[in-house]
Amino acid sequence: MKEHSVEIVVNGERHHLTVGSEMTLLEVLRDRLGLKGVKEGCSKGECGACTVLVDGRPVNSCLLLAVEADGKEIITIEGVERDGQLNPIQEEFIEHGAVQCGFCTPGMIISAKYLIENNPDPSEEEIREAISGNLCRCTGYVRIISAIKSAVDKYSMR
Amino acid sequence: MQEILRKKKTEYRYVGKPVRRVDGYKKVTGRAVYTVDVDLPGMLHGKILRSPHPHAIIKSIDTSKAERLPGVKAIITGKDTEGVRFGFVETPHMPADMPPLAEDRVRYVGEAVAAVAATSEKVAVKAINLIEVEYEPLKAVFHPEEAMKPEAPAIHDVIYPSGRSFWQEWGVERDSTPQKVERNIASTLKLEIGDVEEGFGNADHVKEGRFETNVTAHGALEPHGAVARYSEGRLDVWLSHMGPYMKRYWLARTMGLPESHVRVRPAFVGGAFGGKIDLFDYEYIASHLSRLTGRPVKIVLTRREVFQATRLRHPMIFYIKTGVKKDGRITAMDIKAIDDTGAYRGTGPVVVYLAHAFSIPIYRIPNLRYTGYAVYTNNPVRVAMRGHGAPQARFAVEQQIDEIAEEAGLDPYEIRMINARERGDVLPNGDVLNSCGLKEALTRAVEDGKFLQKYGKHRGKGRGVGIGLTSMFSGAQFYPFGATGVVLLHDDGGATVFTGAIEFGQGSDTMMCQIVAEELGIDMERVSILSGDSELCPIALDNWLSGGTFVNGRAVQLAAIDARNKLFEYAAELLGVSRDELQAEDNVIYSADNPSKRIPHEKVVKYAIHRNRGQQIVGVGHATPVEGAYWYPSLTTGKGRFTGAYSFSATFAEVEVDFETGVVKVVRIINAHDCGYPINPVLVEGQAEGQGYMGMGQVLFEEVIEEKGTILNPNFLDYLMPTSIDVPEMKTIHIETHDPNGPFGGKEVGEGVIAGVVSAIANAIYDATGVRFRKLPILPSDILDALEGRE
Ligand code: FES
Ligand code: FES
Repeated sequence: MKEHSVEIVVNGERHHLTVGSEMTLLEVLRDRLGLKGVKEGCSKGECGACTVLVDGRPVNSCLLLAVEADGKEIITIEGVERDGQLNPIQEEFIEHGAVQCGFCTPGMIISAKYLIENNPDPSEEEIREAISGNLCRCTGYVRIISAIKSAVDKYSMR
Repeated sequence: MQEILRKKKTEYRYVGKPVRRVDGYKKVTGRAVYTVDVDLPGMLHGKILRSPHPHAIIKSIDTSKAERLPGVKAIITGKDTEGVRFGFVETPHMPADMPPLAEDRVRYVGEAVAAVAATSEKVAVKAINLIEVEYEPLKAVFHPEEAMKPEAPAIHDVIYPSGRSFWQEWGVERDSTPQKVERNIASTLKLEIGDVEEGFGNADHVKEGRFETNVTAHGALEPHGAVARYSEGRLDVWLSHMGPYMKRYWLARTMGLPESHVRVRPAFVGGAFGGKIDLFDYEYIASHLSRLTGRPVKIVLTRREVFQATRLRHPMIFYIKTGVKKDGRITAMDIKAIDDTGAYRGTGPVVVYLAHAFSIPIYRIPNLRYTGYAVYTNNPVRVAMRGHGAPQARFAVEQQIDEIAEEAGLDPYEIRMINARERGDVLPNGDVLNSCGLKEALTRAVEDGKFLQKYGKHRGKGRGVGIGLTSMFSGAQFYPFGATGVVLLHDDGGATVFTGAIEFGQGSDTMMCQIVAEELGIDMERVSILSGDSELCPIALDNWLSGGTFVNGRAVQLAAIDARNKLFEYAAELLGVSRDELQAEDNVIYSADNPSKRIPHEKVVKYAIHRNRGQQIVGVGHATPVEGAYWYPSLTTGKGRFTGAYSFSATFAEVEVDFETGVVKVVRIINAHDCGYPINPVLVEGQAEGQGYMGMGQVLFEEVIEEKGTILNPNFLDYLMPTSIDVPEMKTIHIETHDPNGPFGGKEVGEGVIAGVVSAIANAIYDATGVRFRKLPILPSDILDALEGRE
């Protein structure tokens, strides 16, 4: 198997890695960098549990090859909290009871972060749309949607 | 001695409040560690080779090529595990029937045939592909009614006990006997109450129908997985599961270890919904491979394996006949239930019982006959899924109630009010409804949804409303028959609660901490919890038994009260007052009669430890589902006490049907739910909403498509679960009935609601289309076919 060297910045930290050509970004994050907050629910781009930001855009990291991530900047759930302070989305997820088993939560929060940071005043339709690739089997989504709505308000106050 | 200091409800600090969940921070920051996240030093990875055939003889297995692959550390087949059996059900007359690895025969697609442990997952995958298995396919059967015919192929012949049965170990004095399986029937339940023929004789209206429900998947986002570490005769496991005691029992038994040498470690669980209860092949296999190699072994299933080779919801067929008087009173009901339990027994005998047991608390039916069969087929194995028999039964019964009401000229609300049970009712098995908010729930749901104003107004015109009722147990007499809770007080007045109850998303940990903070009168931040560790925690009912609050929560409440009583002894001494006048609040203990007499918990705890030289205050409490009952009810007669409290709910659903496309849009779901008392309303609402969503999926989208035992849609792309775009408006109405035996009056909430949702939506679709759909799911194509008069 061919080996490639890649350079990625993950949550602000630069990493030089040698990866196989079939290795996914998800495998790099979880198995090489130990970022277990990134979840794997299906390995096929169907559940959104593995969502991370790649150069600012939400991506299913199970579908992206590590070599394709070369030179890119990546944010995972571990990089959402800043200086020990929860991001408003994280705060509101707890406050609204938008978390049950929590397995969808990291990916869900990343998708919400992308939405809010690119659309400061999303409609409910847009919120539903933004997380439609993130499956949650526990909550029925209603509290996730209301948590994101509150986070939108908090963001605008920042 | 257990003393309960009852404060007035308005004075509660934590209980009854939407307190933030204690595991929230870990979960929103990615710090929560799930089984799939556990990596141990020197760990190997396991993979399982699974059968492509639904029914076949294994003629030979050649592992030699795989053995030569570098990195392969061990390979096992059925020869290495010969005679090992497990199963959800094991009674003296129904031996456990499932091998961890097939021995001479495979009975379903996905059955484990061989397993590998290797240095990486990739090597393990390569290795199982190098294993050559020669099969001789056998005739297979996939429909339970076909399987019951005498000419059907026999899937099991005689099932032999693999040791002393589970129940024998717990005191049932009956020898285990081999079971000769006739007509593929895994179990039969027969019961009759009253005189059914006479009941139908007295009826003015009689309705009969056949109903059929779908195979659905739990769809928990965390795939099933296990990490096993066997060392020095002890086994440590991390599992994605719903309660450590069933797992520990079967791991100990199958691995030949004493229970105390098996430790189920706590790990966060990424969803379960009934699907992670009993022992799985991969859990045993990981343990076996770890013992064989002396290294930890991790197995995580692929999503396809989760669908094909773990467990699914039981599809059931019901033949129902109901008789009512002109005034709407039910005179008789005759139900025949046929369950396709798959290639191994799974929970078949239980679901057949529960479809009855979860129905009987709803309506007063003086004459009832119930006959249920769990039937083997060559389909994948079925287990509990949220409601376990209730959604299936409610889909059928609630629709037939609407049908017969219409014939009798009554509305769906009226007929239900006439027949619904009330507090104080005693069920045929002796269970007592000490709390029952069924009629209130029904009335509130109907009022809130404006059901009566809307019902029938748009019949057949694409808009409709429906209601459905349901009930659920709050724990039953299954091992370990109850729970013990322990509360330990620390130097600073803080507390740690120990409970075998497990957190799998429902919020058990949070509820426990609320209860302890409330009873001790300390801040919730001062309460920590250790849960779900089979070695460090005292036993509790596995949470799939729905006794999380009523039994496990009660045990913890009594433990906190016990600790508080002890604390008060010393506080009384220090304050020079009588113990009876003490209250605790805000980390301070004070005299209710003379509030200036006060002392912080911290001082009392320190005093107690110092004065008694190291004797820490430990509170202990225990609770059981049904006082005076010792065993689970009979799965063949239905006799015996079942549970100590039933919860109830009524669902209102409103739908729109597009007659062009056949697409049903659920506009609104209202669940009025009697959980006794919502100890944490947000958690309770979260449970109700999750079930609203799941119930909607079960009616409108979800169906595991099995083609000769192979699942055609074993992934989230083809197995459609509702997304954020599909979910309707949902509302929960709390009906507080304060069960006298529940902690703060609380009882079950996690799995009953879904059954009301399923039936309410089905009834609403009838209202909207004027067509009765008796088979799940109700797909757009079914609706178009029906509207166009096609079969
Ligand atoms: S794991 Fe990547 S989308 Fe499911
Ligand atoms: S909280 Fe469990 S999948 Fe979303």
